[in-house]
Amino acid sequence: MIADLAHFSIGPDYWWVVLIKGVIVLGFLATAAAYLTLAERKVSAHIQLRIGPNRVGPFGLLQPAADAVKLLFKENTAPAGRDKLLFWLAPALMAGAAILAYAVIPLSGTTNVNGYALHWNMAHVNVALLYVLAITALGVYAIFLGGWAANNKYSLLGALRSSAQLISYEMAVAFALIGVVILAHSLDLEEIVNAQQHAWFIVMQPLAGLLYFVGALAETNRLPFDLPEAETELIAGYHTEYSSMRFGFYFLGEYVNMVTVCSLATALFLGGWLPLIPWIHSDWLGGLVGVMWFLGKASILLFLMMWIRWTLPRLRYDRLMNLGWKVLLPLGLLNIVITGSVVAARAAS
Amino acid sequence: MTQADILIYIAGALAVVSAAGVVMSSQPIYSALSLVGNMVSLAVLFLLLNAQFLAAVQVIVYAGAVMVLFVFIIALLSPGREDSPLRDRRALIGGAAIVYVTVQIFVLATNGTTYKKGLPTATCATIREAVPAYRLIQAGQPASCNPFPLHGNENAVPIAQANNSAAGLNGVLFFPDDVNRVGNVQVTGGQLFTTFVLPFEITSLLLLVAAVGAVYLTRRSPGRERAEQARASRRPPLPAPAGESLGPGVAASPKAPAATGEPESA
Repeated sequence: MIADLAHFSIGPDYWWVVLIKGVIVLGFLATAAAYLTLAERKVSAHIQLRIGPNRVGPFGLLQPAADAVKLLFKENTAPAGRDKLLFWLAPALMAGAAILAYAVIPLSGTTNVNGYALHWNMAHVNVALLYVLAITALGVYAIFLGGWAANNKYSLLGALRSSAQLISYEMAVAFALIGVVILAHSLDLEEIVNAQQHAWFIVMQPLAGLLYFVGALAETNRLPFDLPEAETELIAGYHTEYSSMRFGFYFLGEYVNMVTVCSLATALFLGGWLPLIPWIHSDWLGGLVGVMWFLGKASILLFLMMWIRWTLPRLRYDRLMNLGWKVLLPLGLLNIVITGSVVAARAAS
Repeated sequence: MTQADILIYIAGALAVVSAAGVVMSSQPIYSALSLVGNMVSLAVLFLLLNAQFLAAVQVIVYAGAVMVLFVFIIALLSPGREDSPLRDRRALIGGAAIVYVTVQIFVLATNGTTYKKGLPTATCATIREAVPAYRLIQAGQPASCNPFPLHGNENAVPIAQANNSAAGLNGVLFFPDDVNRVGNVQVTGGQLFTTFVLPFEITSLLLLVAAVGAVYLTRRSPGRERAEQARASRRPPLPAPAGESLGPGVAASPKAPAATGEPESA
């Protein structure tokens, strides 16, 4: 049984296994971010009855490569009054924090490969959920410092909005997650997924799922909540002054954050790698099938995010704050109280 | 030297350097960012001591929440450069004296500690028996110490609650392997609510007092508000300043919570 295997191999792993996994995850995230930009443009085009990019390669499939080359060779401009160190550091921090968060997300259940317990994440951490929250919390610095260091009033306004928004919605997201943790009895993402063998948590925690998804949209600065970069009023907000690959890093960070948020939602609410069509698997091939299921579910959520972006208008700033503090937060607390009472009552009976 | 040893030296050096950066930076924002660096290095040290839960909480609470507000305020007020404290002879001598005394106390304290080698080690069974949260064991999984069975597993049987909950763990050493097998959060939580319940509750009471104090200080008394309204109604309304508007959407409506107003509630 896969679940039994999960327990005997917490601790130092072979360093080369971790290295190989790291290279794979990094490559996967970079590719995913690049092709998400293409997907975003294609989806937006179809929603607006256009065709979208179709010139580079078949169906425009090489468009991300062309974009990358363009970003790399553009002039790297920098405003005169900037803070030199922070202006350079902030984009790296953005991409770094986004990528680091993915290290603990299990793409499939632990697999037995000739007696070696293969975890399908880079680091098998006991408190994986908290780790993801901690790393995303550091991402706030990237946005805030980037906007501040650029010495541009639009950037500063965007940075301020973004920090306030992230801090407010972080609370709501954390409260939404507590319900899941109560049900799963664990902060280990793998155990959380294993706890959904009988019913996905979206069935038992629909409110938490909704709250998490709304909060996730706000945390990734996606469209109903993209106040920090509202182009019509702030000309792209915190990254106004960034060009070339520095801008590319912000872009990469943003799309990787989308992947992370959707993967986390998949693991927490949509049963992770657990298949809809039951198929017992324990070897590495079964593990790969699990990865397919995981990425399939995450892609549906990613599509949902794009769909929302191209159909809904932007919220006004005060409404955004009201929604975060006066609606999402109390609902999250309510969810904790209800879940806790039900679990306690069932344990008592 | 193992990997962990090397990492301890790197993280320790980073912690010292960033701590020095907090007091020696001439720009306040770099001081604040050094403090963030210091907290993250400390989190790495916690991680190397197998305290994963503590490390994550350290980053979330201190680096992610408290310091964001500090950086926020510093960036908003944008104070100018400050003189480095190294120029001040008196500050330098005083600081060096404090560092010397602290190091001496620390050395004395660690020399006085005798590690309790003779005591029984906490095995899965003792932890499970002693911490009331682990009332459930999974039958047929004796090697694993996972205290909570998988969902819907019919083999899960409740065992009798440990009758001597807190005392059973006193003087027992926790070994990282056991703690990891049980779960970091479970052990920390169990300890907080049994052995250390009094300090824990007192600390939370202290935080509550601080929160109530902050609310009291920011809240206006109703009487003062009424007086201010009366004064405002006697005064003719100010004409709107021409050309001062920031443009649509930039300045939120007066009712909107200003960005700087958020920290209190966060």
